[in-house]
Parts: sequence; structure tokens; C-alpha cells
Amino acid sequence: MPQMIFVNLPVTDLDKSKAFYEAVGAANNPAFTDDTAACMVVEEGSIHVMLLTHEKWATFTSKKIPDAHTTAQVLLCVSADSRDAVDGQVDKAVKAGGKADPTPTQDFGGFMYGRSFEDPDGHIWEVMWMDPTAIPAGEPAETAA
Amino acid sequence: MPKMIFVNLPVADLARSRAFYEAIGFTNEPRFSDHTGAAMMWSDTIVVMILTHDKWKGFTDRPIPPATSSEVSLALALDSREAVDAMIEAGAAHGGTADVNPVQDYGFMYGRDLLDPDGHVWAPFWMEPAVANGEQPMPAVAAE
Repeated sequence: MPQMIFVNLPVTDLDKSKAFYEAVGAANNPAFTDDTAACMVVEEGSIHVMLLTHEKWATFTSKKIPDAHTTAQVLLCVSADSRDAVDGQVDKAVKAGGKADPTPTQDFGGFMYGRSFEDPDGHIWEVMWMDPTAIPAGEPAETAA
Repeated sequence: MPKMIFVNLPVADLARSRAFYEAIGFTNEPRFSDHTGAAMMWSDTIVVMILTHDKWKGFTDRPIPPATSSEVSLALALDSREAVDAMIEAGAAHGGTADVNPVQDYGFMYGRDLLDPDGHVWAPFWMEPAVANGEQPMPAVAAE
């Protein structure tokens, strides 16, 4: 079986968040979507985001939901195929009501370029392009993604 | 090229966290690891980056919320119920905390939750393949 991750995120307005994630390129999987949760496919068969209403979230955990606009417990980063694709995804997020660049742009010249956006609930997504030919073979990297 | 995901998590003790993630089935990638962070590979496209708090602060100025709160829960699909139990046990034996949340046991699906040493929530689960791949609809689950 291919390895799959489901990133579960609590959201205050499911319809709004679903529309936002569709706008930035994720496809909804209706088989795992109802009025309490929406499965958004970032990469078929491997990377999924599960958006959950706060009520649904509370059935899974008694932990409080921190305000993701003012705190951060995770930074989610997805790869993109080019610098233009990075900018394009951030632009789409802004048009869909997200906020651009909550974290510093990472521009390491010709081999790596990363920007970020935040979703309507403040969850941060980084989008990163890296030149695959620039990855050193067997050498420890100084820069972590 | 298939998309990759890097889940960046702040950790208080890099060596402790690295040992935890290795114990539950991740593989360290030395090319993207140094004394400030370590890349832990779940697959070619699913990577957890554990980062020291100092390194983390270079990426965001938002403070880290207390471990009594949870911004995210990270679920991994595993091949069997036994694999779920094995990951939970390995994690608990290496600085993690098992079953912080209710066990989900619905016949077609089985999931348990595990905290890493910093309180980040992992949710390994198994799902009946016919349900997971859409051949059968997801059975109704009664709310707890």
C-alpha cells in the first residue's frame, strides 16, 4: 500500500475552508466528506488534508484548539514544480481570502524558493520549489527545509 | 513530479525526537539534517522536519502554543491493526504518550493516537481497503 498522510485541521467554517483549499489546488474527495468534515486531496494516493469542524474535532481530542493566527504548532510545506508555481499558488490563496507570506520568503538564488500563505483559520502552508539537481549527494545540508 | 509534503514541527530536544521518530518507523535523511534540524522520511514524498526551537524561530515569529492545545493531528494510514498497535507501543517506549485520545475501533477502521515527546499528535490508523479505496461506502459511525 502506498504511504498516505492525512493532515487533520480544525476549521471554523467548513464550506469556506473547503472552497479555499479547492482554490489553491486541492480536490475534494466526496467519499470522505460530509457536513462535519471534508477530505481534500493534495496528491492522489499520498497527501490529504482533512478539514474538520470544531464540533467534529472535539470528538477526537479534548485538547484545546489554539488560535493559529497568533500561534503556530506546525508549519506545513508542500513542494511545487517551479518558482512561478510557488508564486501562482500564493496568488490563488490571496484571491480566495487567504493571507500571503505569514513567514519570510526564502530565496536562495537558483536552487530553492519558498513562500507561504495562511488559510482562513490561520494555518500556515509553505510552498517550496527546489532544484532537484542542486541537492548534494550524500553531503549534510546546512539549510533545513 | 509528485508533490512532497514537509511537516515542520518544533522540538525541545532534537536527539530525543529523532530517536522517537526512528522508533516509530521514520528514516533519517542525513543530507537534510544538522544540529538544528533533522529530516525524517516516512516515504519519498512524506517528510517530517523536526526543528530546534531556535531554528523554528527563524521561520515564524508566532509563539508555540502549549502542548495542552492542538493545532493539528497527523494521521498515517497503516496496513493492519497490528501495525497501529506496534507504532503506538514503539512510540510509548521512546518518549511518547499512548492513547491520549479515545481509541477509534469501528470494525472497518481502527485508530489510536500517540503524542511525540513534545506533545505533537500522531494518529496511526488502519482502514478496510475496500472502504479506503472507495469500493464500499464508509459505514455510518455513531458519535461517541
